[in-house]
Amino acid sequence: MNKPLQICPLRAVAALLLAAASLATQAASITLAGQIGYHNDVVQIDFTVAAPGTVTLWTDSWQGGLNVDPLLSLFNADFSLRSVNDDNDSVGAGQGYYDAGLSLALAGGTYHLVLTAASNEAVGPLLGNGFTYSADAPIRLADWVQPSSNINLGDQKGGAWQVHLTGVSQAGLVPEPGSSALLLAGLLALGALAARRRNG
Amino acid sequence: MGRPNHTQPLRTGTSRRDFFKRSSASTAALVAATQLLPLAAEAVASAFQHGVASGDPLADRVILWTRVTPASVKSAVVVTYLIATDAALSQVVQRGSTKTHPGRDYTVKVDATGLRPGTTYYYQFNAEGSASPVGRTKTLPVGATPRLRLAVVSCSNHAYGFFNAYARIAQRADLDLVMHLGDYLYEYGAGQYGSARTPEPAHEMVTLADYRLRHAQYKRDADAQAMHRQHPLVAIWDDHEIANDSYQTGAQNHQPATEGDWAARVAAGLQAYYEWMPVRPVDTTRPRDNHRSLAYGDLAELLMLEERLSARSQQLPATVATPLGAGFTQTGAFLDASRTLLGGAQEAWLANRLRSTPARWKLLGQGVMFAQLKGVAAANAAGGGAFLNADQWDGYQPARDRIYDVLKGDASHAPVGNVVVLTGDIHSSWAADLSQDPNNPDVASGGYHPATGDGARAVEFVGTSVSSPGVDSDTSGAIAGFLRSLNPHFKYINLHRRGYLLVDVTPQRAVGEWWFVDTAASPSNIETFAVAFEVQHATNRLLPSAQTTPRANPPPLAP
Repeated sequence: MNKPLQICPLRAVAALLLAAASLATQAASITLAGQIGYHNDVVQIDFTVAAPGTVTLWTDSWQGGLNVDPLLSLFNADFSLRSVNDDNDSVGAGQGYYDAGLSLALAGGTYHLVLTAASNEAVGPLLGNGFTYSADAPIRLADWVQPSSNINLGDQKGGAWQVHLTGVSQAGLVPEPGSSALLLAGLLALGALAARRRNG
Repeated sequence: MGRPNHTQPLRTGTSRRDFFKRSSASTAALVAATQLLPLAAEAVASAFQHGVASGDPLADRVILWTRVTPASVKSAVVVTYLIATDAALSQVVQRGSTKTHPGRDYTVKVDATGLRPGTTYYYQFNAEGSASPVGRTKTLPVGATPRLRLAVVSCSNHAYGFFNAYARIAQRADLDLVMHLGDYLYEYGAGQYGSARTPEPAHEMVTLADYRLRHAQYKRDADAQAMHRQHPLVAIWDDHEIANDSYQTGAQNHQPATEGDWAARVAAGLQAYYEWMPVRPVDTTRPRDNHRSLAYGDLAELLMLEERLSARSQQLPATVATPLGAGFTQTGAFLDASRTLLGGAQEAWLANRLRSTPARWKLLGQGVMFAQLKGVAAANAAGGGAFLNADQWDGYQPARDRIYDVLKGDASHAPVGNVVVLTGDIHSSWAADLSQDPNNPDVASGGYHPATGDGARAVEFVGTSVSSPGVDSDTSGAIAGFLRSLNPHFKYINLHRRGYLLVDVTPQRAVGEWWFVDTAASPSNIETFAVAFEVQHATNRLLPSAQTTPRANPPPLAP
């Protein structure tokens, strides 16, 4: 099953706008939020650390099972896997049992933080190696039983995510390659439509 | 009602203490084999203090359950599991991972899918560096199915006695499943209903914390663990899972002035129930309604009914004197057709399933006795006599008549036969032909002939309690005999023994066997076969039967 074209380009556009907005800020504490729709969606956040120090990266979007159980994977500038956390609710205020959190000392430079739905874990030492569910046909979160969900409640169906970053100089969303391709396809389709209108 | 007065038997075979020794030894052996925390056998054993369980099998899936007891408070606990086709867990067909947290009392529930039909599986959980006991379960068959063999239990009161019946069921390797018809646990405080064991908490359970503690105590019982470990459970609740004589908007044993809002109590009780029981929720937005059906190949459809919390009308008072206490006649409010046990939607669902199922047998798993039970006998034309228990279907006669309408058929619907009603609730054993007018011997006018069974529309097997008391003083059977004299549709009544029902179904017949334990007052492993009745295909009436033969070479029990 392919993702519907009419949704993903919009999502990518929103992500690009968010990215542009956050890149403009120079705050030490940044919050990014968005929405995923499928069980194997990958949200990539690139951030920069200006000087060596403690960086915290954490979610507070699980909300007692209202939304998907998130997993955070941190990659170095060279896209090598540095750190992973599925559950750590001791990093920031407002976290729930299944929220993820990392608190670590980082040198200055660029990093890639990836948010996925647990247990969509990095399968190799590099970001490019992909994730456990990468090869799956995408399953809508509404149709997916996340392995950590509570089947008594049918919870963790919501796709809202939120990540807080402290100790970083800037951070922004990176559009998924798939989304970029879909965005391109969407723009081409719009172009074709416009051309047809002109010709009609 | 007095305590059982049997003398404690001499123990033969395995004692409870030996059991504990054996289970901890096997846990340690498992741990050594998997090289997990090789030094700390005690700590390792402590992560799974409540056993494992499975339930609600379908042809391709089954619920797997356990509960983790972490060494310290944790926000999230990762739990892995594996499913194999052999007891040694060498032929693994599935591995998975899930999590639990304090907000669900560290209970774990997995709906394991992708399984093969009619297959016995063995499963094990891992968490906190330790392995759970190995469980054994079985999926439902599809297509042509020669046989179904199940145990039926109800009314397992931890405070009132020991679950010897569960232990006997755990030893039967040839069962396909165990059906629990409710009163799996009781709400009372210490000394309020039984004093063989002290309930936890010691007061009546009302809050979520109370219900969780009580469930946890029941799941620590060694006999309950043994039964759950060996067989999948198909469970419905009756009243005591929340409070005695419950109905949609209240219960006899719920006092709003001191115990708060009924809806809040039900929500708390059901939250703990779903957390702690190996059941699959039917609709997560309507937890009070768990009615569901399970197709056992082409042989039987198991129709599990909800008769307490989703729609039941409040019980009416019994105000007419009978030789056996207060009763009631089918007059006044008892004739109100709007009163219900099932509610309209479930009634319509049941009628549709009964009429449309392709299965040969329809087994109704339900809570309260369907057969009429009178303390004063009379045919319907003579007023119908006086009934004894307004909490049973007798107290909801128009609703029961609507079920009979389905069985009898009408201008646009064929009659429905081969219905066997399975019931618990009343701590005693009954075999009944089901008739709307059992004291009228004229079959032509809608009556029932007790010698031939003519006029019966279906049959009912009522299984006794695991431990709750019946009329334990009726050791002579005098009261049972008196009841039979008034109620000729009962072919068997025993009021004073504890145990379980074993049901064996083939395309040709459905047999009910009543098995009794010698006592529930103390641990014992003695059981005796009491009696068997059967219904032949397309006859809808009981005949005396004999003990059935267990299957040869059943899959081995879990270690």
